[in-house]
Amino acid sequence: MAEHVTIIMVEDDEGHARLIEKNIRRAGVSNKIIAFTDGTSAVNFLFGPDGSGSDHIGRALLVLLDLNLPDMTGVEILGRIKQNEHLKRSPVVVLTTTDDKVEIQRCYDLGANVYVTKPVNYENFANAIRQLGLFFSVIQVPETN
Amino acid sequence: MSLSDAVPRLSRVRLSLPRPTLLLLLGFAILIALSAVALSLVNRSQEDATRVAHTLRVMNAISQIQVLIRRTESAERGYLISGAPGFLRFYEVSKAQTGPTLDELAELTQDNPVQQARIAEARQLLEARLASYEKSIALHKSGDTEGALADIRNDRTEGAMSRLGTILVDMKATETALLDERAEASRDSSVWLIAVSIAGLGAVFCLGILALAINRRGILALEAAQQELEAANSGLEKRVAERTADLKEANDEIQSFAYIVSHDLRSPLVNIMGFTSEIEAMRGELFDRLARLREAAGEDPAADGEMSSDFDEALGFIKTSINRMDRLIHAILALSREGRKEFVPMDLDVERLVAGIRDSMAHQLAEANAEIHIGKLPQVQSDRLALEQIFTNLLDNALKYRRDGVPARVEVSAVDTPGFVTFVVKDNGRGIEAKDQGRVFELFRRSGRQDRPGEGIGLAHVRALVRRMGGLISLESALGEGSTFRVTLPRRLPTETGHKDNG
Repeated sequence: MAEHVTIIMVEDDEGHARLIEKNIRRAGVSNKIIAFTDGTSAVNFLFGPDGSGSDHIGRALLVLLDLNLPDMTGVEILGRIKQNEHLKRSPVVVLTTTDDKVEIQRCYDLGANVYVTKPVNYENFANAIRQLGLFFSVIQVPETN
Repeated sequence: MSLSDAVPRLSRVRLSLPRPTLLLLLGFAILIALSAVALSLVNRSQEDATRVAHTLRVMNAISQIQVLIRRTESAERGYLISGAPGFLRFYEVSKAQTGPTLDELAELTQDNPVQQARIAEARQLLEARLASYEKSIALHKSGDTEGALADIRNDRTEGAMSRLGTILVDMKATETALLDERAEASRDSSVWLIAVSIAGLGAVFCLGILALAINRRGILALEAAQQELEAANSGLEKRVAERTADLKEANDEIQSFAYIVSHDLRSPLVNIMGFTSEIEAMRGELFDRLARLREAAGEDPAADGEMSSDFDEALGFIKTSINRMDRLIHAILALSREGRKEFVPMDLDVERLVAGIRDSMAHQLAEANAEIHIGKLPQVQSDRLALEQIFTNLLDNALKYRRDGVPARVEVSAVDTPGFVTFVVKDNGRGIEAKDQGRVFELFRRSGRQDRPGEGIGLAHVRALVRRMGGLISLESALGEGSTFRVTLPRRLPTETGHKDNG
């Protein structure tokens, strides 16, 4: 993954966010990570004050999204990203505790690119995040336009 | 309307049933009384008729005597005037009849002292009269015709004659009065008979009307009661449906609560575990660095060994506890997921299903020197996965909690009852103490020596499954002798279990 790709992490649990960041870094990913702990601030950042998302034209974004947020569901954010003309091509990785198959189907229907269930066992969790980091290092992320 | 409202409303309906037996008895009594009265009235009427006839006979006899007296007198006079022997013969015949006729009259009026006295007087007068006739006839026979005639002219007994006439007329008058009286009584009896008959008929008619009215009222009350009952019933059904819906909702809520709680509990656990691992990694680096520093300062690099092992111990406890907590949460999550899973009823040969489980346990059986005997098990329509889990857990427990030194022997059998099948899993294991027999079905509770791995989930899971399938599970056990689990399940699992599909 090219250096200029920014990772937007939406995760309400700061501990999780920190562990995710640590393990991604351990996989050799050095991209900039911007973390948000609630939906509203993430949406404000992603779509800007006018809600168009035009702020990010020319940038490459990868969104790491938790579904259980205190103020809204990640599914809502996912839907908005995939319907936004500027952001719709940005890869969205859903990383959440839910393994409900209906939820998984819904996320892919809305255009999620990857759905990963957070393993509860920490060893597995760390391992999964590292593998995700390795995955990040090989994928191509388009710039928004 | 609540359930408690419905019940007193039901009891308020008084079923005032007609009392047909009482009415029938009353009717019969009236009929019997009527018959008795009518019978006695008829009897009286008959008696009256007899009395009337008697009086008529008395009157007839009186008239006959009057006629006989006249006839005797006429015959005597005819003889005295004409001297013809025909008159004499006629006289004799008539005279001969007077005595018996008077006797007859006396007999007929035996019950009447007034008439008896009159008859006695009349008899004397008559005899005197007859004696005077005899005397005149004797005079005539002796040839003294003139003397006899003179006798008649003088009529020595004229006063007696008129007295006799008066007596007879009196007697007749008395009898006429009696006749009137008796005829009147007879008429009265008839009137009474008619009256009583009409009254009886009226009473029976009234009773009939009353019976009809009571019957009608009873039917109306019955109809009203039935309507109320129907209303109450439909209310009750509605109520039951509402309650069922409430319960289902509450159950769903508990299920989703358990799911959410266990889910949300795992999230912080990841942090605890994650940062513990981070600390562990840092610990290694820290003590390495410390050792290097000590070495550089010319100290013993292993001087911090004690602290390092304390560190390890603390981290070890944290990790073990987290792992245990993780397993428990996992168990709750699994149970709550089971509670949300939809059953798929299908035709199942339980015997084959249990045999399959036994085969999958072959390794375990050989290791424990155990055997599982499967009796005749029926076909049921049920959820395969649920049945597999129930039997796997029960058989696993039976093999796990063996009695020391006794080869484990497990028997699986079934008892058929209408609509339900009771599966019996009997082992010769260590048994469960009476005080623990309820507890073993609770989550995270185990009984006896804790020398076997396990979290105390299996039986809780089995009971939850059995309950959801509309069945029952019971346990019979004696410590040191073995346990018998009885699982009663519907032969046909209803398709509609009322649980939402939450995936």
